Amino acid sequence: MIRRGRGNRENLCENPCAGSMEKYILGDSMIKHKTSFIFVLALFAATNAFSAKPPVPAAKKTPPPAPAQAVSIPPVTGLKAADMPYDAGGAVMLEWDMRPGEAADTLYQVYVSSQETGGWIKAEEFPSSAKTAKEIELPFWAWDAAPARHALKVELANLFGEAKATGTVFHFKVSTIKGKASGDSAAVSAAAVSNWFRLDRLNNLLLLIVLIVVFFWAVSHAKRKGLFIRRIAGLDAIDEAIGRATEMGKPIYYVPGIGGMSGISTIASTFILGEVSKKVAQYDTQIKVPHFDPIVMTVCKEVVKQSFLEAGRPDSYREDINQFISQDQFSYAASVDGMITREKPAAIFFMGHFMAESLLLAEVGATSGAIQIAGTDVEHQLPFFFTACDYTLIGEELYAAGAYLSKEPMLLSALKVQDFGKLVVMTALFFGIILVSVGAKLHWDPLVSVILNLFKAY
Amino acid sequence: MKLIKKHIPLAIVMIIGVLTLASYYVPHKTSVNYIEMMNKWENVVAAFAFLLGLISLFLSHYGKISRKADGWGYSIFVFIGFLAMVVPAFVSHGKQMTDAGLTPLGWSYRHIYTALQGTMFAVLAFYIVSTAYRSFRIKSLQAFVLFVAAFILILGKVPLGQIIWDSLLGWTGASSSDVIEWIMNTPAVAGKRGIMIGISIGAIVTSMKIIFGIEKQYLGKD
Repeated sequence: MIRRGRGNRENLCENPCAGSMEKYILGDSMIKHKTSFIFVLALFAATNAFSAKPPVPAAKKTPPPAPAQAVSIPPVTGLKAADMPYDAGGAVMLEWDMRPGEAADTLYQVYVSSQETGGWIKAEEFPSSAKTAKEIELPFWAWDAAPARHALKVELANLFGEAKATGTVFHFKVSTIKGKASGDSAAVSAAAVSNWFRLDRLNNLLLLIVLIVVFFWAVSHAKRKGLFIRRIAGLDAIDEAIGRATEMGKPIYYVPGIGGMSGISTIASTFILGEVSKKVAQYDTQIKVPHFDPIVMTVCKEVVKQSFLEAGRPDSYREDINQFISQDQFSYAASVDGMITREKPAAIFFMGHFMAESLLLAEVGATSGAIQIAGTDVEHQLPFFFTACDYTLIGEELYAAGAYLSKEPMLLSALKVQDFGKLVVMTALFFGIILVSVGAKLHWDPLVSVILNLFKAY
Repeated sequence: MKLIKKHIPLAIVMIIGVLTLASYYVPHKTSVNYIEMMNKWENVVAAFAFLLGLISLFLSHYGKISRKADGWGYSIFVFIGFLAMVVPAFVSHGKQMTDAGLTPLGWSYRHIYTALQGTMFAVLAFYIVSTAYRSFRIKSLQAFVLFVAAFILILGKVPLGQIIWDSLLGWTGASSSDVIEWIMNTPAVAGKRGIMIGISIGAIVTSMKIIFGIEKQYLGKD
């Protein structure tokens, strides 16, 4: 290109000049028009001098380029493939060295194949600044994030299906791409396996072990000495509510919410129901338990029956105390609202898992004039219970209620474990905030990272 | 008898509880399969329990109708409602829509079920108003704080409130949306997290009580 452009221009200019000179030198008119000739010559020389581009000697000397072909660049170094640690299988971790000063437009393409030769499938493509070892979401005790290495989790299940992803040996290679140039690494192999332990959850396991140790210590301590438990107003009011219902000759409604039996709040609710129905049996009052979940109903039937038996009033127990209403949220709320409006109970207990129906139920109960005691672990429903009910048990108090009411030392001891857990959290929060703040201020990144790792859920 | 009624159920609870707890720390395929199997079992049990619930519902309302108990007329609607959904479901083979258009089930779903559900949800709006009125009665310092926070939130969410805010408190440099954002992101979140931490610890301890057989009220007592 360079040669043709400049050369043509020069040729086009020089040849006419030469031609003109030849004519003027050889012709007779040259002598006659000597002055004109000199003038024209000078004019041509000046034109050439001004119009000519600066000389580019190298361009003239550059040999013609070779035909277009792929330019190779050095491949990545230190490529390793291994099973992704602490997972159920189906993923492999690839690691290779980072190259300092690598251009920003360099890309890495990761290829995977189930065959030893060929059959490559592109698994990932990303810029050279991405996917570093630091980006792997694992704590410091399970993963060395310090080396300047690229690390990539390749999800084989997405590419080859669940069945083949675990146990099969796969081959991997990394292509480095920069413009039209590329460089392929040598292939490495690895197989994904199912692991037996989540080392990244070690912090969680240690906390659990500490809680279990404290739990058993508290249980044995409760057997020997007994424990002091602070008063919970909402639970003390249960006696008052049942007494009121007895005096008024009106029923008590116990609403266990819309949670299933696998929910902790529903389990806690059945404990409270046991204590409430025991008192109901003792006072010979009526209780009605409308249910959303048939499994919860079956469990509650046993609980209420047992409580009546313990209170020495098995004759007062009726099968229709526990009644299935509906497994549809608003149908349930509408039906229970209707029952409350018609029967005007003296006391209503809302204990368990509640969602949008919380206000529908509690507001109707408040309008009917019943004394209402609520308890739930759904924090965004608590404001509705606060405003519509006389007493509200907040989250953990709901869990504590069964033990509090039963007054059994073994159960009460569990409340001490809750207190211990809260103490641990408060202490950790206090020192954690200080250390992280100081660390961030002084740029002690390793310290901040260690503290954040310790308290993170993986 | 005690072995069957007490010890074996407690052993089952403990074994299943420990295995389920361990599955959180064991990522192996066996552990994943175990959890999947337990979920399937739960669904099977729930299906049978639903049948029990249905029988309980029908018996209870049938009893009310036959005894002519107070409000027995409402019990008739239980059966009418049941038939209004179940019969079209059988007729339509469980499909709500076909190429020909809405099936009888689809019609019942759209014009009965959805309409009734929408009505109940709409009632919620009125209850929120009456609840808000009750909560705005200032009887204590806590109620006053609640009132102030709620008042700012309500004020900031309507254009008129924003105009009032800007004209009265514009000189402070803080807009109503800034104050709302602070209330929602700082004190509200702090309170919520405190409750959530308490709930989480309570849930762990309650689980331990059940797994280790300290709490066995759900089995009945000795």
